Amino acid sequence: MGNLTEVSIDFQSSHLVFPTVIGCILAGLTLAILVTRRRQIAGAGTYWRRTLGDMDKTRLFGALALTVLYFTLMVPVGNIWPNTGLGFLICSVPYVLATGLLFMHDRDMRQILVMLVIALAGPTFVWWLFTEIFFLTLP
Amino acid sequence: MEFLSLISPLFLSLVIGGTFVGIIFGAIPGMTATMAVAVCLPLTFTLGLENGLALLLGLYVGGIAGGLVPAILLGIPGTPSSITSTFDGYPMALQGDGEKALRIGICASFVGGIVSLMALFFAAPYLAEFAIEFSYVEKFLIILFALTVMAALSKDMLLGIFSGFLGIFISLIGVYDISDGGNGKLRLVPPGTEYWLDSGFSLLPVLIGLFGLAAILEQAELGVPKGQSREDVKIGKSSSFSLSIFKGQFVNLLRSSGIGTFVGILPGVGGSAASILAYSQAKTFSKKSANFGKGEPTGLMASEAGNNGLTGGALVPLLSLGIPGDSTTALLIGAFTLQGIQVGPLFISDNPQTWNAMIFAMLVANIAMFTMMYFAIRYFALVVTIPKHVLFPIILMMCVIGAYTINYGIMFDVWTLLIFGIFGWLAVKLGLEIAPFIIGFILGPSAEIYFVKSLESFGDLTIFFTKSWIAIILWLLIAGSLIASIYLARHEKKVSKTV
Repeated sequence: MGNLTEVSIDFQSSHLVFPTVIGCILAGLTLAILVTRRRQIAGAGTYWRRTLGDMDKTRLFGALALTVLYFTLMVPVGNIWPNTGLGFLICSVPYVLATGLLFMHDRDMRQILVMLVIALAGPTFVWWLFTEIFFLTLP
Repeated sequence: MEFLSLISPLFLSLVIGGTFVGIIFGAIPGMTATMAVAVCLPLTFTLGLENGLALLLGLYVGGIAGGLVPAILLGIPGTPSSITSTFDGYPMALQGDGEKALRIGICASFVGGIVSLMALFFAAPYLAEFAIEFSYVEKFLIILFALTVMAALSKDMLLGIFSGFLGIFISLIGVYDISDGGNGKLRLVPPGTEYWLDSGFSLLPVLIGLFGLAAILEQAELGVPKGQSREDVKIGKSSSFSLSIFKGQFVNLLRSSGIGTFVGILPGVGGSAASILAYSQAKTFSKKSANFGKGEPTGLMASEAGNNGLTGGALVPLLSLGIPGDSTTALLIGAFTLQGIQVGPLFISDNPQTWNAMIFAMLVANIAMFTMMYFAIRYFALVVTIPKHVLFPIILMMCVIGAYTINYGIMFDVWTLLIFGIFGWLAVKLGLEIAPFIIGFILGPSAEIYFVKSLESFGDLTIFFTKSWIAIILWLLIAGSLIASIYLARHEKKVSKTV
C-alpha cells in the first residue's frame, strides 16, 4: 500500500504535475457529464435553435462587431499620436454613439441628440480624468 | 488608533461616493454590485490601497443594498441577493406602501450590515491567527474545501465542480513561476501564443470580462430591455413608516443577519442563498407565516438583513485565508493585487492600519447607505428609469480602460476582456457556473504550489489525510459541505415552491 501512494516529483517536469492532475479530473468530469446528461445533450439542437430564435441578433452581434472594431482600431489610431491616449478618445466617441444607438429603442431626434452629447462628453471626461489627473497610459 | 491618520476627507468622500454609485448600480436591474466594483477597479490604481478599498467597499455595500429598490418597486431583483425581497416588498408596493416597504428594507439592511461588520471585526483576526500555523497540506485542503462548498451549492453540482476545475486549469496556462518555487517552464500554451500567454491570462481583465462585458452581452441578447417609466415605479403615497414596525422583530433581525453573515463566510456562496435561507427561517418561526408572500414586513426584514449580512461575512475568508467569500470580494483581490499586497493569514497582522481602515470604511459605508437611502429614497427610486442604452456603452468603455491600464498598457489584456466576456455569456447557456470558475481561476496557482510542494516534501499522497488533525477536520468539512449542500438545495426548492 505504501508503494502505491508514494510519489516522486522530478523538478524538471514539475510544471506538468498539477496540470496533468487537473486535466485528468476534468476528463473524468466531462465523461460523467456526458453520461448523466446524455438526453439533454442529445436534445441540445432544439435548445440552441430556440435560444437563437429568441435572441435579439441585431443588438447582440452588432455590439460584438462594434466592440471588435473598437479594439482593433484603438492602437493603430493611437500610434498616430503616441502617448497621448487620443487613440482611445477618437475611437471611443463613435463607439459609444454607435452602441448607444444600437441599444436604443425609440430613435427620435431628441434621443439621438442626447446620445450624441453623451458620446462626446463621456469619453472626453474619462480621457481627461485618466490621462491628466491619474496619469494612466491609454492607447 | 494609528489608522486614523489614513482617514482623510478623500477617504470619506470615496466611501460615501462609492456607496452612492453602488446604490445606483444595485438599483438598476441587470447591473450588480460586482459590476460596479469591476468597472471602478481601474480608479483604485492611483488612489493607493486604503483609499482604493474605501471606494470599492462603498460600492459593495451600496450595490447590495441598492438591489432592494427595483425588487420592491418593480418586483424585479436589482441584484440576485434581493430575490426574496420581491416576495413581500412588491405586494406591499402594489398595496400603495412602496415607500414604507423601502424604508423597512433600508433599516433591515443597515442592521444586517452592522451585525456582519462586527462578525468580521471579531472573527477574521482569530481565524487568520489560527491559519498562520497551516502548512502547505492544510492550505491546499482549505482551497479544496472552498471549491467544494461553492461547487456543491451551484445549481447543478456536477457542472459546478466542473466549472471550478476548469477555472483552475485555465489559471495554470503560462509559466510555472520560479518565484513560486516552480521551474520556469511553459505549459498549456498553444504554439504561436507564447509571447502573449507567457504569464497566462491576467486576473483583472478576466474578472472585468466575466462580470462587465458578459452581463452587457446578456442584456444585448435580450434586446436591452427599455428602462422603466415613472408610472411603473410604484412608490405609493408619502411614507406612513414608523420604527414601531420593528417592535418584536429583534430576534428575526438578529437571526437573519447571523444567517447572512454565516453564509457569507462560506466561500463562494452567494447572497441569494443568504436571503433565501434567512427568509425561509423567518417564515418557519413567524406566527404570521400565512401572510408571507402577500406583503408581510417580517419577510422583507429577513430578506434584507440576510443579504446585507453577507457583506461583512464574505470578507472574513478573504482577509483571513485569502479565499474570496463571493464574486464581489473576488474582485477585491484585484485591488490588493494592483497594490502588490497578498491577502491571506498574514494580512491583518502585517497590515493592521489597512485592516482598521477597511473596518472603518465598512462602518461609514453602512451609515452612508442608510442615511442616503432613508432620506432620499424617492429620488433613488427614479434610478430605475435611467435608460440602459446610455449606461451600457459608458460601462463598456470603462471596462476597456480597466483592462488596458492594469498592466500599464497591454492590448492583449483588452482582448482577454473580450474572450472572457464571450466565455462568460456562453458559459451560462452551457450551464456552467461563473462563481466556482472564478474562484478556481483565482486560487488555481496557489493550489498548484501547495499541492506540488506537499508532495515534494513528503513524497506520499497519504500526507493529505495524515498530516494533522486539522487535515482530518478539513476532510470532514469537505464531506459535510457536500451533504449540507444537498439539504440546502432541497430546502431552497421547497421554499420556492411554497412562495
